[in-house]
Amino acid sequence: MSGLKRITGWMHAGLGALIGCAIIASTIDAAKAADPRAELYQKFEKAVRGKTVAWVPVWLGVLESEWTRVMKAHFDDYGVKLVVRDPNFKSDVQLQAVSSLINDKPDILIVQNPTTTLLARELKRAMESGIKVIQINMASNQLTDAYVGADVPKLGRSLAEELVKACGGGKGSGKVAILQGEATAAYSLDMTKAATEALSADKSIKIVSSQPTNWDANKAADVTTNVLQQNPDLCGILSVWGPMTAGAAQAVKNAGKQGQVKIFVASDGQPADCDMVEQGLFTKNLSYRADTQGEAIVNAVLTLLQDSRPAGATQLAYYTTNYWVSGKDDRQFCFVVPKE
Amino acid sequence: MLATSQSRGSYKPSQSTIVLGVTLVLFVALSLALPGFASLGNLFTLARNISILGILALGMAVVVIGRGIDLSQIATLACSAAIAITLIDDGWSAFSAIGSGLLLSVAIGIANGFLVSVIEIPALFTTLASGLLVLGVTRALVVPHYQVFLKPGHDWLLKLGGTVMGGLPVPVIAFVICALIVHLFLSRTVLGHFIYAHGDNAQAARLSGMATRPLTMFEYAICSGIGYIGGVIMVGSTAIMHLQIAESTLIFDVILVVVLGGVSLVGGRGNVLSVIAGTLLIGVLLNAMTIMNLDIQTQDMIKGAVLLMAITLDSYIHPRDEETAKQGD
Repeated sequence: MSGLKRITGWMHAGLGALIGCAIIASTIDAAKAADPRAELYQKFEKAVRGKTVAWVPVWLGVLESEWTRVMKAHFDDYGVKLVVRDPNFKSDVQLQAVSSLINDKPDILIVQNPTTTLLARELKRAMESGIKVIQINMASNQLTDAYVGADVPKLGRSLAEELVKACGGGKGSGKVAILQGEATAAYSLDMTKAATEALSADKSIKIVSSQPTNWDANKAADVTTNVLQQNPDLCGILSVWGPMTAGAAQAVKNAGKQGQVKIFVASDGQPADCDMVEQGLFTKNLSYRADTQGEAIVNAVLTLLQDSRPAGATQLAYYTTNYWVSGKDDRQFCFVVPKE
Repeated sequence: MLATSQSRGSYKPSQSTIVLGVTLVLFVALSLALPGFASLGNLFTLARNISILGILALGMAVVVIGRGIDLSQIATLACSAAIAITLIDDGWSAFSAIGSGLLLSVAIGIANGFLVSVIEIPALFTTLASGLLVLGVTRALVVPHYQVFLKPGHDWLLKLGGTVMGGLPVPVIAFVICALIVHLFLSRTVLGHFIYAHGDNAQAARLSGMATRPLTMFEYAICSGIGYIGGVIMVGSTAIMHLQIAESTLIFDVILVVVLGGVSLVGGRGNVLSVIAGTLLIGVLLNAMTIMNLDIQTQDMIKGAVLLMAITLDSYIHPRDEETAKQGD
């Protein structure tokens, strides 16, 4: 049995070699000597052109629109089709969008997770049905072919270190407040956890408040007014997101404490965040730059499209670099929203 | 309410009195237990934090007393205020920009009232849909990324979120003025009485010669207009309008405050005091929990428990019957 198999195997190999020779011969005829550079391009074209990428953000806010803009610009150039579904912050709609996209069988599925669990099962199903999956800015409990985004705990630690530098060791009252996003959003939870650990490690720092603001500038302003009322000697605020912090900064300004209360914000690099620093309302932003993140997403897509292994074969990570924004000179670390 | 208390011949405290009582008990307990709670500064902070909610609730109360409901209130104020900021940022004068926002919000209110009273679509569906429509159109045409920042250089508008006379927050003054005007309107004017009559029995009001259709449009216009005032104060406090608030639970907080204080969803009942009582209870709770730095789960538990307590107490003192039964009972 095995002998027969081996013989058939040889025959196949021989046949294959013959056909191969014939093809090579004809190619040489057609294109003279094969140009390795042209071949590289053809290989790239074959792997990439005409492929479909499906993209499901949590919603199309400023950050997500910037990712989408960068992706679209590159994909148009490569001849990749981009399908976008905007669930507008509704997790049931997002789950449905992902489920129905899996049935449409795109080549790559990109998702931005709202929580670590919501999409986990569907992402596994997507990979099982042969779709390569990229997760953006927050990984779910299900690891997939690639992750692109900020190292969120690291953001929290870096902000905390800066806050300790400004407020610790007797350089101020040592009293600090943390403004969280939504209580259940993992992006906010992870950053708050890492920041709290780093702040607690320093004996001179006291966290007087750590409250969720539901990403709402009004709520952030209310909480901040409240905290300032109870702790007039507050030294610093650590916040996980720019737009809601705008409200907190106004509350600090209204209390006449602009400058006394240092405000450190994790930023996606949206223009308004840089404006706030330039107006002296924020002390410093730590920007993870949505524009360069968009390019990292494109690179991950190109890598996976050119990788002939099936979905689920790798777990690549593209952690993006963070940049401190502390004045006019750091404008480059914020992106520009183009006029439509 | 009046009828039951007369027929039984004994004093029955109204729902707003009960809620005020609960608030007072909480307030005393917290003043004793929580250092820094009873200070004048904290009272200003407390009042400031609930004044926007209170203003919105005043507008909502007018519609609810007229046996309606306006689920589009937040969407309308967010979009009108966002458009007003966009105009200011584009160099319009303050008066015309803010005025245009007000006109827009009032127009949306009138359109709501028209759909409810003339086309006769239930208020719940009308305002649910109109809120979505307003939000969608604004997002598509004016505010693509959900947020507008007020550009620097408009400090006069930011004064609306500031304080005057040694710490008195401007939003609180605005709430007091709005409350006073709405109170006088509802209790002293013919139109105010018409709204009660309309909510109590729309058919009877109509048969006795009131123009209930224009009246409905008027109610919804007041709700949107007062809501817009709240929206402008939001901008004054934060220098940003984020349309996401239209999809947050804020609208339910507004309805909760209204209903909690005793403005019944069946219409014709409650007054400005009810709104103030409901707002104060929520305000005391939120303020104390922020001072105590409680985590969100504990906050939800306490909020839920206190609300249930207030409602239970009310139903114990006012047993449900045909007359006092509320929608959904």
